[in-house]
Amino acid sequence: MGMAATAATAGRLLRLRAAGTEGPWRRLRAAGLPRGFLQPASADGDAAQRRQVAHFTFQPDPEPLEYGQTQKMNLFQAVTSALDNSLAKDPTAVIFGEDVAFGGVFRCTVGLRDKYGKDRVFNTPLCEQGIVGFGIGIAVAGATAIAEIQFADYIFPAFDQIVNEAAKYRYRSGDLFNCGSLTIRSPWGCVGHGALYHSQSPEAFFAHCPGIKVVIPRSPFQAKGLLLSCIEDKNPCIFFEPKILYRAAVEQVPIEPYNIPLSQAEVIQEGSDVTLVAWGTQVHVIREVASMAHEKLGVSCEVIDLRTIIPWDVDTVCKEECFLNLEAPISRVCGYDTPFPHIFEPFYIPDKWKCYDALRKMINY
Amino acid sequence: MGVSSPAFSPQHSQRQQQHFSSLDDKPQFPGASAEFIDKLEFIQPNVISGIPIYRVMDRQGQIINPSEDPHLPQEKVLKFYKTMTLLNTMDRILYESQRQGRISFYMTNYGEEGTHVGSAAALDNTDLVFGQYREAGVLMYRNYPLELFMAQCYGNVSDLGKGRQMPVHYGCRERHFVTISSPLATQIPQAVGAAYAAKRANANRVIICYFGEGAASEGDAHAGFNFAATLECPIIFFCRNNGYAISTPTSEQYRGDGIAARGPGYGILSIRVDGNDVFAVYNATKEARRRAVAENQPFLIEAMTYRIGHHSTSDDSSAYRSVDEVNYWDKQDHPISRLRQYLQSRGWWDDEQEKAWRKQSRRKVMEAFEQAERKLKPSPSLLFSDVYQEMPTQLRKQQESLARHLQTYGEHYPLDHFEK
Repeated sequence: MGMAATAATAGRLLRLRAAGTEGPWRRLRAAGLPRGFLQPASADGDAAQRRQVAHFTFQPDPEPLEYGQTQKMNLFQAVTSALDNSLAKDPTAVIFGEDVAFGGVFRCTVGLRDKYGKDRVFNTPLCEQGIVGFGIGIAVAGATAIAEIQFADYIFPAFDQIVNEAAKYRYRSGDLFNCGSLTIRSPWGCVGHGALYHSQSPEAFFAHCPGIKVVIPRSPFQAKGLLLSCIEDKNPCIFFEPKILYRAAVEQVPIEPYNIPLSQAEVIQEGSDVTLVAWGTQVHVIREVASMAHEKLGVSCEVIDLRTIIPWDVDTVCKEECFLNLEAPISRVCGYDTPFPHIFEPFYIPDKWKCYDALRKMINY
Repeated sequence: MGVSSPAFSPQHSQRQQQHFSSLDDKPQFPGASAEFIDKLEFIQPNVISGIPIYRVMDRQGQIINPSEDPHLPQEKVLKFYKTMTLLNTMDRILYESQRQGRISFYMTNYGEEGTHVGSAAALDNTDLVFGQYREAGVLMYRNYPLELFMAQCYGNVSDLGKGRQMPVHYGCRERHFVTISSPLATQIPQAVGAAYAAKRANANRVIICYFGEGAASEGDAHAGFNFAATLECPIIFFCRNNGYAISTPTSEQYRGDGIAARGPGYGILSIRVDGNDVFAVYNATKEARRRAVAENQPFLIEAMTYRIGHHSTSDDSSAYRSVDEVNYWDKQDHPISRLRQYLQSRGWWDDEQEKAWRKQSRRKVMEAFEQAERKLKPSPSLLFSDVYQEMPTQLRKQQESLARHLQTYGEHYPLDHFEK
């Protein structure tokens, strides 16, 4: 990657954190280097050197009409809107985690501390096991806890609190106690340059843990409705937010609160030959695969957004009885069984070509 | 470290962000409020002469400093005594019942009864308790009936926990005692969250969180202490330092001056007390409670005591400690005998009452025990409820499939012991 591209890449996340300052440019000036000292990237763009373009195209859904006035929002703004609605409606609700006070490293909590006060939107020390444990305690005491884990890659210190405590609180106490008013939100998934520790999709670790719900939206409209449902749900929920969609996904989202039900998959396109199931960013990949299949192979694809990973909507996706109706084995197209690599991301991810190829092989089975 | 004052110091432990001034030669670092020093010197951790141990009674139950005597009324002190001895009796019987195969597992509280009762008595009844697993006396002080202790150990139909957990994992919403879970120290950051919610609700409530010196090594303990201090929570951290974490002695658990010395590192007011002195425990907890609620800050109490019993019924502690050591604590420094001597010297108790009470308490325990044993276990359908607030479709299908399975294969299952 060229120097300018490197600086831009490295500075991207830093820039978000240093909102309002001049970031890298201030340091260069202090070092006595003029602003334009970096050689510009070559004009005709060396394709091998340029940063990878996104592997999908976000497809906004049509403007929702049944929830009142809408506003153009990207995904992080939709999250802010949901949080704003929640804190307005529920006086016990609090938001906490690393760096949420100034607005969050992805700007999801911008403006909320000023609006609702420092006792309701506050930073915690840097400690994920503490963040989740603390959140469980707030919920046990009957208040609404909205915890942020800065990246899903860092959720693992909290794994014990989530799996051994939050998920089991109601069951083990015979319903004397519960932490149903806990929601954990966390940026999730690949972003082009996140490598091992800013790209992970760890929902599979939680997918077999009875007692929690895991939800992943594909768009701003879905995100706000699903997040509100998670916050209001009487069970502890993990809400993973595809970070690559925070700014890239823009559509009309209702200003007022609304709910999208949990544990209900959505068939976003009907079809008769092949079923494609995905969640989060990947929904946009398979949408494109569906149109490629239609164009190039004359194949009709059903496209399903799973939305809730656990408890998942078995009835919509498949039936035990359908085993005898399958004309080909089920295909899973995922990342490889390696940690998430940095420079190799374009080769790692289950892009539309790999999905298309799996589909093609399935049709020809 | 050299903490000079053993008692809670008067000032609030809050870090002020100091004013930045580029003109001063004083340190401007945001991270610490301190002066410069030009002498190279490492601070020596003080483990030889550690934080002193606050006590009110000597080992013979005599008040040492009359101004520290809480002057509790006879009725209250008798309740302390009866709770501790009833607990002791229940422990003996349930430990034995495990040996006989009647219950699967048990943990006794021998030697630590003073830590439970002294602290429980200093709280309001609505203060929320998060425990570890060796705090049954707190629940007993709050009048949790023998029937329910037994029900949980037997997992019978009367168990509030619906038979889901191993014995001694008590819980009681009515008595504000959060259900025990096996993973250690997980309750610590949770207690802090509950305290934060109590503060926001202006509930005038303290949260107390019990844990052992072993659990204090867990990351969750560090997390809890730090959050409580930075978020200014009304919480009492109560550490039962009983000398052992199963077989691991304190010399292998930590190298600093116990748990009390860690408090100041987090900005937490801390004290070490004689856990076998029920009045010392009471006084410290009472004062901590008053200030935690009034000032919205955490307090750390390290109650020094000794685990006279084995870790649990799965342990034989003769494998790692001497009988002489155990006997010393049992015979010469026991919370129950110290309090009895206090009571006797006040004329509030005598040998005849002791004999009568022993008989009575044993009979109460035996009655509850026999009844608990006779009761059925809950219906197997309760295996499936409360995973979520609502039962998911797939789980309902599994519940139905078990019901069908039992129709055909029921003879291979102990259905006679369970409700339908």
